[in-house]
Amino acid sequence: MIYLNAFIFTGIICVIGQLILDNTKLTPGHITTIFVVVGSFLDIFNIYDKFILWAGGGAMVPITSFGHLLIHGAIDTANDMGIMGLMTGMFNLTASGITSAIVFSFILSLIFSPKD
Amino acid sequence: MTFKYNNVYINDTATVTGPYEANGPLSKYFDKSYHNLYFGEKTWELAESKMISESVDLLLDKVGKTRFDVDVHISGDLLNQLVASNYAATNLGMPYIGVYAACATSVLGLIVGSNMIEAKQAKSIIASTSSHNSAAEKQFRYPVEYGGPKPKTTTFTSTGAASAFVTSNKRGIRIESSTLGTVVDMGVKDVYHMGAVMAPAAAKTIYDHLRDTKREIGYYDLILTGDLGVYGKNILKEYLLTEYNMVLDNYEDAGSILFDVEKQPVYAGASGPACAPLVTYGYIFSRMYKKELKRVLLVATGALMSPTMVNEKQTIPAVAHAISLEVVEWYI
Repeated sequence: MIYLNAFIFTGIICVIGQLILDNTKLTPGHITTIFVVVGSFLDIFNIYDKFILWAGGGAMVPITSFGHLLIHGAIDTANDMGIMGLMTGMFNLTASGITSAIVFSFILSLIFSPKD
Repeated sequence: MTFKYNNVYINDTATVTGPYEANGPLSKYFDKSYHNLYFGEKTWELAESKMISESVDLLLDKVGKTRFDVDVHISGDLLNQLVASNYAATNLGMPYIGVYAACATSVLGLIVGSNMIEAKQAKSIIASTSSHNSAAEKQFRYPVEYGGPKPKTTTFTSTGAASAFVTSNKRGIRIESSTLGTVVDMGVKDVYHMGAVMAPAAAKTIYDHLRDTKREIGYYDLILTGDLGVYGKNILKEYLLTEYNMVLDNYEDAGSILFDVEKQPVYAGASGPACAPLVTYGYIFSRMYKKELKRVLLVATGALMSPTMVNEKQTIPAVAHAISLEVVEWYI
């Protein structure tokens, strides 16, 4: 059942993306940004956590979860450290993803060069 | 502003293309085609420059001349500062004029050259143009690897170079008259809908040309626009009818026929400065030599924006330059 929910959830996100592309002048870059912000916003009232329970990986994989993780890390640390925790904790949960992207692309760019 | 010519002829032409054009419906009309986009060079820009040099070399071979026989080389392309043409001109070594009218460059070059020939200021001129899909995407939009999806009204920059040898020798296709376009800006800001940007400019130039030459629209066997694409075509027909009360019948758009819009992944058709001459010099000229068409009005259209202006949310102005081509029996 969770497999089906995962499929439906990511599918709906993609449909929304396609609708935006077809009907507005927004670019793919705009859509990625909007999705991250929406994911963040939905975590403020713990709504995104409910999506994760329902759809599992289907809610963790899309870029919306990146926004969710940013806010989640911020609020968790703020609960421990007070208001400064919002600043210090925002990248806690997303650090591994961001670091991997930077480190691995650096290493690979030393070995390979981009070509079409 | 319309010029009439008594003694100007395109003696011969040469075209070089990239892979998409070679796989398209007009492949047999090109002199040389490549099957990848680098042509043995390290960058897209050098590849585009190489195409211009090659098309001029092929052309000189065809007419049996050397670069010392050519008075002026007029060339243009889409790259910043016209570098594809500039660097080709380095290799070619002829007195050089760079011209820019975006995708209307080919006709602008022919007009400048024809005026010099008619005024007997020069005896032989080569007018060349080029565009390269990847170089244009890199400069105007995003590198192709970004993979962002595009709306269906987008046009696909053609990859090719085309050169024409223009003299007063009575051989080949006659350049009968030309009309310089006025820039038209209808307030469109969408870089993915060039058809809408340029159709009004094409309409104005067609109207100006017919008014100045006192001709009816039926005088021409074919009116060929440069790269309006499948959507721009319809916009032009509608616009000419509502604004200028003209019915556009014998009409085709080069961008709509260079590629197979159904089978090739080219969205709404071809664009780029090379599009109009690639179609005209090969396919249209061969139809003219076979007497299927006697009088053709080529209306090349160009969008005159830069990526900076678009990012600053400016509108996109457009221009269309027209040249009247005819085949006369005893000139072939």
